[in-house]
Amino acid sequence: MDVALKIWRYDPDSGDRELRDYELEAPEWACLLDVLDLIKDQQDGTLAYRKSCRMMICGSCGMRMDGRAVLACKERMLPIVERGHVPVISAMGNMPIVKDLVVDMDPFWNKIRRMKPWLEPGYDEVLERERIVSQQEMNVIQKEALCIMCGCCVSECNSMESDPEFFGPAALAKGFRFVGDTRDQASVERLEDYNDEHGIWDCTRCYFCNERCPKGVDPRDAIAKLGAESVKEGIDRDMGAKHAKWFVKSAETTGWLRETELVPKTQGIVSAVKQTKFAIGLARRGKVPPPVPPHVAADVGEARALHQLVREQGREGALGIVQGERALARIEHTDAGGARRDAPEVTPREEPPKAEG
Amino acid sequence: MKVAYYKGCLASLSAKELDTSTQALAPMLGLELDELESVTCCGAGDIHEAEPDYYLHLNARILAYGAATGAETLMTICNVCTLNLRQANFQLLNDSELRARVNTNLATVGVPPYEDDIEVKHLLWLIVEDDGAERLRQVAHKGLKGLKIAPFYGCQILRPSKLLGFEDPDRPWSLEAIIDACGGEAIDYPAKIKCCGFPIIQAREDVAMGELIQPIEQASEAGADAMVTPCPLCHLSLDAWQSKLKATTGRDFKMPILHLSQLVGVAAGLEESELKFKRHVVPVDPMLEKLEV
Repeated sequence: MDVALKIWRYDPDSGDRELRDYELEAPEWACLLDVLDLIKDQQDGTLAYRKSCRMMICGSCGMRMDGRAVLACKERMLPIVERGHVPVISAMGNMPIVKDLVVDMDPFWNKIRRMKPWLEPGYDEVLERERIVSQQEMNVIQKEALCIMCGCCVSECNSMESDPEFFGPAALAKGFRFVGDTRDQASVERLEDYNDEHGIWDCTRCYFCNERCPKGVDPRDAIAKLGAESVKEGIDRDMGAKHAKWFVKSAETTGWLRETELVPKTQGIVSAVKQTKFAIGLARRGKVPPPVPPHVAADVGEARALHQLVREQGREGALGIVQGERALARIEHTDAGGARRDAPEVTPREEPPKAEG
Repeated sequence: MKVAYYKGCLASLSAKELDTSTQALAPMLGLELDELESVTCCGAGDIHEAEPDYYLHLNARILAYGAATGAETLMTICNVCTLNLRQANFQLLNDSELRARVNTNLATVGVPPYEDDIEVKHLLWLIVEDDGAERLRQVAHKGLKGLKIAPFYGCQILRPSKLLGFEDPDRPWSLEAIIDACGGEAIDYPAKIKCCGFPIIQAREDVAMGELIQPIEQASEAGADAMVTPCPLCHLSLDAWQSKLKATTGRDFKMPILHLSQLVGVAAGLEESELKFKRHVVPVDPMLEKLEV
């Protein structure tokens, strides 16, 4: 097949950036990585990119195709060629570009290390007998354990674009892989640590990480699990945790969100008072509904009784999310679950959303 | 078509204009709304993060009351409601054990069990599906001629696509199709699929504002007369927090922000009493004055 693609080149010595066109003949089974190898072999040996295993397990070849982070070894070229599409290849986002498609992953690794990604078993001496972990226990961290640390989730993380110090989806998913491990004896200390200003509650829930992850880790869900575990352990000093808890309180008291009280309940009275001028501006437009009389949903007693009931059943914390994964597993990595790529009338932009790291 | 109508928290409170414009528009689109009364907040992702088992049960209760109307579709008008309800629905429809446990709990507190399946769909999808754009051309008699409109999707109507899946999450087309069918000009800009920052606007205002400015700035630079969004949370942050952007960056975008049902409502000739633009923080008048009738 005849493949055409464009690659954003970057030369660190001159600082030049250029979108260069490539055309070549490639076998029908070729993936994006094969095509890059052919270009490097036959046309331009200076093209820089990372690769190793070629089979979606080493996590080296993360890059962007038409602005979305992918593993080059996972993207088959045939359907793209058949559509007559000319994809634009560029380096991943949220990390500085070293050369062409290679990014500096030091900030990424520093955040992974920050999570203390090793088991804290709570003893120094090796036990006499091995500690058996049940399948049920492993299922709790099964998805997070799939991470190959390719960086695709971090590439498009909207919170990290705004706060580069945000721990990010890969590191936090790694964090849950240990918090949820029954062999780990440091879960509470970890949760305290991950409740950092740039931690769990800094996630903006844009879901780009779940969308991009090539392995089905669903990092955003892992972050929600960490939030749920924090609330379960009473670690709720962060405004994000207070915000989340107010929704629970609202649901069981009035049914609907008690919107106007959300600000003082999240930020505390002192900070909320500082928002007075802003709030008055909103109130003039009816955007600050009076809390009294409360807007109460019909039959709200049922929602309250339901809360009492599920609390007694003890599926608090991450288990409440893990229980849904049996259903979700049905759509992982199948065509039906994949993103639809069927927007013929929309022309992909040549400029990636944010090509500079 | 009869649909169970779940309006969510904001359309009951700070975004009443979203409810009134939706109620006025629905009959024109052939939608008969059966509004759900005995329902609560979907949890907005917050209960999912604080007490996820409670989140599942609250949403199952909404789905149960929705299905009890006999409708096949539960209509939402908020991205966050859409994801929360679809996520819970997917888990219940594909795991009979989980559904049985939840139904037992619902029955214990006197809620009808969730038995007949119902599908959760956002108003946006109901408008454009099955050649809806063609239908819309008939409804939008007043049109949007002369207006450049920036579509802003927000996150939770696109991602994760395995739970939403209506359209390509990276190159969505539905809002563009609606703007086009209403006679306006849709403008393209990269941040139309990104986050407005709303979920963390109270807990991390600086981080949220760094996100919020991107779509407004890009839409403004592309010459948009207004932005349209299918999400009341995006609406609230884009509309109300513009004054804060002015305070922190010195830039006054004065960008009118319209709910989806308001934009279509303008094109369909709805009145101010239904559109309620006076409830907006950023005035919509400059856009309305530019409209060529």
